[in-house]
Amino acid sequence: MPTQAGTSNADVRCGDYKAIGGKLLRVRMSVTEDNPPVIQTLRITGDFFMHPEEAIEDLEQLLTGAPLEETVLRECVQTFFAGDVQVVGADVDDFVTALLKAG
Amino acid sequence: MAAQEWRLLLTGDMSAFDNMALDEAILRCVVAGTSPSTLRFYGWKPSAVSIGYFQGIEQEVDLDMCRQKGVDVIRRLTGGGAVFHEHGSEITYSLAVKDDYPGIPKKVLDSYALLCGGLVAGFRRLGLDAEFKPINDILVNGKKISGNAQTRRFGGILQHGTLLCEVNPPLMFSLLKVPNEKIRDKLIAGVEERVTSIRREMGTVEHDAVIAAMCAGFAEVLDIHLSPGTVSDEELALLERVKEERYANPSWNFKR
Repeated sequence: MPTQAGTSNADVRCGDYKAIGGKLLRVRMSVTEDNPPVIQTLRITGDFFMHPEEAIEDLEQLLTGAPLEETVLRECVQTFFAGDVQVVGADVDDFVTALLKAG
Repeated sequence: MAAQEWRLLLTGDMSAFDNMALDEAILRCVVAGTSPSTLRFYGWKPSAVSIGYFQGIEQEVDLDMCRQKGVDVIRRLTGGGAVFHEHGSEITYSLAVKDDYPGIPKKVLDSYALLCGGLVAGFRRLGLDAEFKPINDILVNGKKISGNAQTRRFGGILQHGTLLCEVNPPLMFSLLKVPNEKIRDKLIAGVEERVTSIRREMGTVEHDAVIAAMCAGFAEVLDIHLSPGTVSDEELALLERVKEERYANPSWNFKR
């Protein structure tokens, strides 16, 4: 069974955020002890829609290694949304808010 | 323009694993051109919880309780939320077309409005005051009676959803995880308030009558002619394959 925890000394953080579009974004991440912390592992779950579905893994990968800073996170999420993907039930702001809330 | 010919499949009650595998098998064959556009109605035996593609299975489902109660748990190909499919209390439909099917909007949000329109027309034929509520719900008298989910892949569109004949929120919440025990009763009360069923709105109605109304609704909205058909050998073979690869496979169900 996959676990979402990173390395043993990693700091695991979780947060839920209900998007304006009505769907729930649940974020689990492990971050480094740097300042600002850097995302080591990330899992975004919830009842939103994304087409194609497998693109969620691209978004998670894009955000892994990013510092927990709003401008950087927003840029990553915006880049992802600008690609060949349709997200239904949550927008860029919702994802950024959910990530910051978890962080 | 003459109405498009579609196949109508009535596959009755099947396991969660067969149900989800058959939806995918149909979609793949519709895209390949070996099956016509298809509308299918089905039930669940045993009862099952399905979770959306993006949900964490352990975050959403009380797996021990499901095991105790003999309820199967499965991850769908489609996004959206966790659904409790109670045996005998729900009619489920699925619809599969090629993604270039004339008249279906490229924008997913818009296509929900069109395809759910078939169900809205069906509920109205039953005498219920139904309306589509974006993103993916249908309401009767302001309460949810149907939830729907869509995927676009392999070159096709698959939409499936529930038509609630009866609801049992206490049983549903015994199978789903809640953020904390203190609010379990509140969540149950919330669902009692926001969700309705065909039975609550109009008493007991035969499932066949509901299905007939929905067929007429889809025929009207999509300008199609539905002919009863059967699952093909190719679809049956594919069902077995994708069931093994995906739906009955822990690596699929536990991937998030």
